[in-house]
Amino acid sequence: MSGFGPGVDRSAPAASAGAFADSRPPASDRSGVGSTGPGSAPAVPSIEFEAVSFAYPDGTRALSQIGLRIGSGESVAIVGQNGSGKSTLVRHLNGLLRPTTGRVLLDGNDVRPIHVARLASSVGLAFQNPDCQLFSGRVSTEVAFGPRNLGIHGGELEERVRAALEEVGLDAEASTNPYDLGYSRRKLLALASVLAMRTPILALDEPTTGQDARGVARVRDVVARAFGEGRTVIAISHDMRFVAESFRRVVVMREGCIVLDGAPDVVFGEAAWGELRASYLEPPLPSVAGARLGLGATVTEAAFVAALERRAGTISR
Amino acid sequence: MASASPITAADAGLPDYVTRQPSGFYRSANPGTKLAVAALEVVAAFVLPGWVGPLLVLAVVLATAAMARRMRGLAAIALATSPIVGSILVINLFLLPGASDPIARLGPLAPTWSGLSFGLQTVARLLAFSLAIGLVYLTTAVDDLLADLARRGLGRRVIFVVGAAVQMVPATIERAGEIVDAQRSRGMDTEGRIWRRARGVLPLAAPVVFGALTEVEERTMALEARAFTAPGRQTLLRVPADRPKHRVVRWAAIIALIAMVVLRATGRLV
Repeated sequence: MSGFGPGVDRSAPAASAGAFADSRPPASDRSGVGSTGPGSAPAVPSIEFEAVSFAYPDGTRALSQIGLRIGSGESVAIVGQNGSGKSTLVRHLNGLLRPTTGRVLLDGNDVRPIHVARLASSVGLAFQNPDCQLFSGRVSTEVAFGPRNLGIHGGELEERVRAALEEVGLDAEASTNPYDLGYSRRKLLALASVLAMRTPILALDEPTTGQDARGVARVRDVVARAFGEGRTVIAISHDMRFVAESFRRVVVMREGCIVLDGAPDVVFGEAAWGELRASYLEPPLPSVAGARLGLGATVTEAAFVAALERRAGTISR
Repeated sequence: MASASPITAADAGLPDYVTRQPSGFYRSANPGTKLAVAALEVVAAFVLPGWVGPLLVLAVVLATAAMARRMRGLAAIALATSPIVGSILVINLFLLPGASDPIARLGPLAPTWSGLSFGLQTVARLLAFSLAIGLVYLTTAVDDLLADLARRGLGRRVIFVVGAAVQMVPATIERAGEIVDAQRSRGMDTEGRIWRRARGVLPLAAPVVFGALTEVEERTMALEARAFTAPGRQTLLRVPADRPKHRVVRWAAIIALIAMVVLRATGRLV
């Protein structure tokens, strides 16, 4: 248990996420998940990192003996200081990087021999910098690129493009040149281009960077919707408020290792602050304020306000 | 009483850019000296007749690289020239004008001994040229080169152009790698059949070009914001060392270079 904050159960991180009430329908009732199109419900694969270590060609060791299991349909945020190995970890999901030692398993199958192009039908990865992927002269063509590579054509392709653009609020910009959009909207476009692939696993690298409050809310809705549909959502973020409000499990990385793993109220709880600070992370403000006022675990503003109201009610009675 | 330890650069909070001092005769040489030596080597490889020029230069460059412990980097540069090396050999082997000493007959094709000899000599010259320049690149920090050019009074606009050009190569390679990863993540096939890979040219090339154009604009504004065009003389944060022994080498190289060009121009070096 070395390196784990007090109160964090490393052996059962997914179970700790149960601190939140799961209001989703049963997996068997969820639809529209996966790359085969709406109406179908392919299984969402589980993800397992088995003692994964990775070193870049220049010798930089980015991951060290990572053991991590992400169950089907979980929502997981990965946080940590710059250079802690977050992006390296996520790039192992779709085979962009292959472990130096250890294995990455999707539903128990080692991804090592599988081409990235094939894994793209299971794992959609939105990069941090949208300008690394935008190339089309029209927003709609850009969004169609991913699903078309997965073999989607005709009416279904059009429907996917329309739905993805609507989801990120760019439906009125379908004919616009992507480079005529501002940075934050280009970022949403890059997100839409991955959403249109309808992969069972959605991985987002810093999705809220450069977004104003409305943009962050939009991204939060995208995450909530994907989670509601039963897809696995994984996001790398430095935005602790977004993490606390949108995810049910938080993994903290430092120097290529996982140092905390649990539900937000545990990872951002007072007992774990030392470990967070050692990772150059600040707990969300409501969590700090709640602890100072003795309100307990209040990682979101809503939880903080509810706790305050409960106390006010108690005092007035 | 314990003697007070000297204050190190790290203690003083100075960045590596200011304090680093390369070690070894060649690596620690002033960038101007390295450029002068490289220029001499390049000219010698092409001006000295027959095999003497290229082989002599290759020997000097390889010995210097071994001294500077840059053999692996140099091997990578040599490998990068292999496509052009291959085409030079093939073209000269089969198509050298006037060659009439066939090695063998391969249907309509006849590789010749003179074609092989001329091709190998050209390849040796090309390698001497590439490795001489490559060694400077492998042993000189770009900011040292730019600081040295500034110290010698080269205009800051010229220095910016030189710096941007030199730094653009690794930056573009890194960016291209990121773009390839992003498109592969969207299902673009870069590992399958060639015709499928060919379809990926536009999705890969467009972000590189657009990104480069955007970067130029942003870089220009960032420079303006930091008084790039302000009048007056600039001070340098770091001045690369220029030791007497390196100055001697530099002037010797420049004199040898001029002598070689003059001898060649007057027909005394054929």
